[in-house]
Amino acid sequence: MKRSKKAALILMAPVATMILAGCGEKEQEVHVFHNVDECAAYYHPPAECQAEFAKAEALHTQVAPRYQNQQECETDFGPGQCETAPERHQGGSFFMPMMMGYMAGQMMNRGNLAGGQATQTQPSSSQASGGRGAAVPTQPLYKSRDDRSTFRTASNQAVASQPGATQVRPSAVQPQRARLVQRGGFGQQAAVRQEAQRRQANRQRSYGS
Amino acid sequence: MKRVNSTPRPGWQAYAESLGFQFHTIDGETYWDESAYYQFSLRQIEQDLEDVTEELHAMAMDLIPDILADEQKLDQLAIPGDFRDALAASWQRGDPHLYGRMDLVYDGTGPAKLLELNYDTPTSLYETGFFQWVWLEDQLMRGELPNGADQFNSLQDKLEQAFAGLPLPQPFHFTSVRESIEDKGTVDYLLDIATQSGIDGRYIALEDIGALDGQFYDTDGEPITGLFKLYPWEFMLEEQFARNATTSETLWLEPLWKLLLSNKGILPLLWQKHPGHPNLLESHFDHGKALDKGWLRKPLFSREGANIELVTADGKRLSEPGPYQDAPFIRQKLQPLPTFAGNYTLIGSWVVGDSAAGIGIREDNSLITKDSSRFLPHIILE
Repeated sequence: MKRSKKAALILMAPVATMILAGCGEKEQEVHVFHNVDECAAYYHPPAECQAEFAKAEALHTQVAPRYQNQQECETDFGPGQCETAPERHQGGSFFMPMMMGYMAGQMMNRGNLAGGQATQTQPSSSQASGGRGAAVPTQPLYKSRDDRSTFRTASNQAVASQPGATQVRPSAVQPQRARLVQRGGFGQQAAVRQEAQRRQANRQRSYGS
Repeated sequence: MKRVNSTPRPGWQAYAESLGFQFHTIDGETYWDESAYYQFSLRQIEQDLEDVTEELHAMAMDLIPDILADEQKLDQLAIPGDFRDALAASWQRGDPHLYGRMDLVYDGTGPAKLLELNYDTPTSLYETGFFQWVWLEDQLMRGELPNGADQFNSLQDKLEQAFAGLPLPQPFHFTSVRESIEDKGTVDYLLDIATQSGIDGRYIALEDIGALDGQFYDTDGEPITGLFKLYPWEFMLEEQFARNATTSETLWLEPLWKLLLSNKGILPLLWQKHPGHPNLLESHFDHGKALDKGWLRKPLFSREGANIELVTADGKRLSEPGPYQDAPFIRQKLQPLPTFAGNYTLIGSWVVGDSAAGIGIREDNSLITKDSSRFLPHIILE
């Protein structure tokens, strides 16, 4: 016999229905502020405001997006809005945007002004998915160069356009360690050739042969 | 060798899609075409195609040390000077190779002639190794094909054996250009086979590959220590990450030395070493002058028939535009593709490791086989 004994696929034949994570996920209330004083001005206990800010600040050095140099960072975040990151690469220091605010994940009790919460047992910030949905870790927020009003997470998820309470999907705001690597250094020829091909009204479908 | 009309399986399109074959029809044009098949005798397959494929492959592999030892040949092949050391090192280390496809002109009689080697990023792999195989089994089961019909197609078996046997680091990554669903289909197929042979394989879009201090990383920040890339080496070496490609501790499939064989310049070099060989077409490096009747010109690096120009024996000029006009060219004696029922037919003959592994057939309505040509299945029947 000149043909394969079998030809099976285990990955390509799609599974009937995928249950997507995050689908139907419940939103959580969080609070967003520029700084501790602003937090306190919204009738939150200053000690809590300070404690959450400290958590966010500690996370900042871990999650802020990294750039190979200051210029690339400022292109995204604006002149004077970047600082050196703790890591170095062969050509010098990495840069990262400055922290422009923070998101307090745990419901602050507003000095009991909001009228006591029914449940006293909120999941702690490190534990995910209790009966009330996943927790939102307190984290730093940033503002991009061309959109100074929007608070964004380190992974560029917009969360609010003004201070105060807002709703977020917990899965969309889970902090991740910053990536140091540079991307997009392959594939440029594909783009160039595709453009050339398009001009000749005869597009390239494949980079195989 | 003959072309036999055949009734397509009812509803085969939906079935194809359920098996991950999303590009069976491209821009509304038929790509997978089962309205006919080609029939070969076992002797035609074994003597004229299988043996010839392995002989041509051995001749090409045999040229590599000659080329590496000769700067003039490296110049003729337009191998960038900055990467010659890395290329030679990849050969001297014995970096493994997985697969390749050679295009042959064959009409059932006489010696098959080598048109070119697609030895870096060959495609039509899924169509050949999997969907053509499924078609044969289906049509046998339905009684639409004579009992005992076989196919020259051990591609999937041989790829699975290759993945199981090659010394590949794990996890092993697979990459293609994000927007090409055809390339993604091919890479998914290889990833599937690799997984079946026990490899921890992962997909990453080419544009998502990261580099830091000369090492490549995946999107989780893990180093990429092994990478199958369905993207031409000659492109990669012109891009921003080119330098990293030689410093990163990454085992590449295909290896960098394949740049020598996927290069059309291998054709004149083969002819110089084996002039008059029955399976070779006379070829020379192009001197830029007008083409004589019965010759064609193609760039050292080109894909899917792009930038090919030819003049038929009776003086008819034919050319295919494309994006590869920047490379040097070769010229090759024109061996017109045979026609069956008005279609120009080309045979793609696969090599896995160093073994012939099956064929796939392409039909076009022109002498130049392009990416719009159709893929037809075949059978072997005595």
